[in-house]
Amino acid sequence: MMKLGAFLLCVFALAVAGAGPAHADSAPVGGDIQVAQTLGERELTVIIRRADPIPGPLRVDVITHTGSPPGTLELRSVVEGTVISQTSVILGAESGFYGGTLRVDRAGPWELDVDDGAEVATIPFVLPAKIATPWEKATYGGFIAAGFFLLVALVLAVRSRRTGLTLIPAGGMVAAIAVAVTAALLSASAPPPPAPGSVLDPTIDNVNNPYPNTQTSTMDLSRPPVNLFAQADNASSGQEGELKLRFTDGSTGRAVDDLLVHDNAFVHLLVVSPSGKLWHLHPIRVAPGDYRANITPPEPGTYAISAELSRRGGGVQLVRSSVQIASGSANDPTPEPAGLGARVVGGNSVELTADVAPTGSPTTITAHFDTADLQPWLGMLGHMIVIGPLDNPAAPVWAHVHSLAPAAPGMPAKPDETVAAFGPDVPFTYSFPLPGRYRVWIQAERDFSVVTIPTVIDIPAAGGPR
Amino acid sequence: MTAKKKPLLVTAIVLVLVITLVWIFWPGGDSGPVSSQTVTGVYSVRLSAENPKLGTNSLAIEVSDAAGKPATLDAVTVEPVMPQMGHAFAPVTAIADGPGRYRAAETSLPMSGQWEIDVTLRGPGGTNQAVFPLLVKN
Repeated sequence: MMKLGAFLLCVFALAVAGAGPAHADSAPVGGDIQVAQTLGERELTVIIRRADPIPGPLRVDVITHTGSPPGTLELRSVVEGTVISQTSVILGAESGFYGGTLRVDRAGPWELDVDDGAEVATIPFVLPAKIATPWEKATYGGFIAAGFFLLVALVLAVRSRRTGLTLIPAGGMVAAIAVAVTAALLSASAPPPPAPGSVLDPTIDNVNNPYPNTQTSTMDLSRPPVNLFAQADNASSGQEGELKLRFTDGSTGRAVDDLLVHDNAFVHLLVVSPSGKLWHLHPIRVAPGDYRANITPPEPGTYAISAELSRRGGGVQLVRSSVQIASGSANDPTPEPAGLGARVVGGNSVELTADVAPTGSPTTITAHFDTADLQPWLGMLGHMIVIGPLDNPAAPVWAHVHSLAPAAPGMPAKPDETVAAFGPDVPFTYSFPLPGRYRVWIQAERDFSVVTIPTVIDIPAAGGPR
Repeated sequence: MTAKKKPLLVTAIVLVLVITLVWIFWPGGDSGPVSSQTVTGVYSVRLSAENPKLGTNSLAIEVSDAAGKPATLDAVTVEPVMPQMGHAFAPVTAIADGPGRYRAAETSLPMSGQWEIDVTLRGPGGTNQAVFPLLVKN
């Protein structure tokens, strides 16, 4: 009897020990991270692939766009300020996919350095850990305990002369099954802890065990608005210059270092020249709260700037500013673009049509390309920037409208830029809030080149003649 | 089987069960000492706190230079910030506590939740700043 009892204990201990890696069959964690980066004169899309297992390799892909010069990028994986591994990626003259493999050794907050020799873009990202939830532990533990009690009950029923003794492990089995079933049923409705990275500042501790984070006294996890200081000190027309953007917290004045990847970028920077040329850039992070992008302004004057960003804890913000560009070697204003209709932009024939509605009602503007081979850019089929009304120097309307790529059945993840199968129609719907003339830019990607189609549109006042 | 051995077996089974249940339901990641490390400029900085809690906390800072040796600095200050609330608090000066070691013994963290501790190092090479996230429990 003693031997049998010891055997049972051993079986139980082994079963419990085996329950440890039970979470290995849970769903894969994390996904690919896509970040657009305007590094020097290159517009890059950096894709950090999901790392599994950790420690293990980390694949980083870099997509270059048309006009991107060949060269070498140094990639480095950094944790706690220490470089863990590095690799070189040789970019060819042709636009497309290039990549390298780095090594990562732990889950937690990491930084990817992308170094083109002149500047270093530091991309913070979180490598998530596989977490066994308390519910999982209780479910697995409960069923293992139930099995053990069943064995004990059977042995006692056969060996013991006192049948009443069998009822004790039998009762234990019922209790263990109750625990397991309750945990399994409740686990679906149990809220997950606040996620390190998107909600809380990530640390190695809280990424590996997010459950203690539930004990916070604040329910509203959003953060104060940002202030933007934009500078273009050394920029003059005709010369490539650097835009320096400093983001500080609107309540504490500290550098804002908690920007999330939103629509595939930390900051969507729009720059509009005095005569209406548009840049849609994705500044690189060089230090906490310090972002940079290069532009070559074709004319002097006041350039309007807006930055779209999202801080940890949620909420997208739009901050606007302006910079002065001194008179330099060039003065090349952009002519006013044509209205609706057909045109050829960068070798692409595009026809713009619109179903114009008065203010407050939805207006739909459609760009029709001649073939269905558009690529998603920043996760979207198209982007439309609306600025106006032009008779108001403050341009109170500053909108960024998206055209959604249609969902592919059975493909929950968004396709990346290598899928060239969308279009040929790129529709945008926007309710213009004020009457007047607006500057509109429609952007879509084709053949790894972003096509920007400028136009103007007149919106009538509600109640007036259409 | 004797009458004496049976209670022994039952006790062993119960003991194993209790240990297992405690292991399963033990609240994971109990606070206790927490520490994190980062690099700013030439310095490698580690911030440690013994069981961060509501109220006054003692924060220890270890600074080493590029060669890994303890660094001597002119001043080390600690500024607690509650990022979700947008609250910044007056910096606390950390007192030297051995080679390369500094301690801000009276750092007030007046609410629970996630804090950021800004550590400012003033030394021969200029001013460097390091930011550490710190979770304070109820």
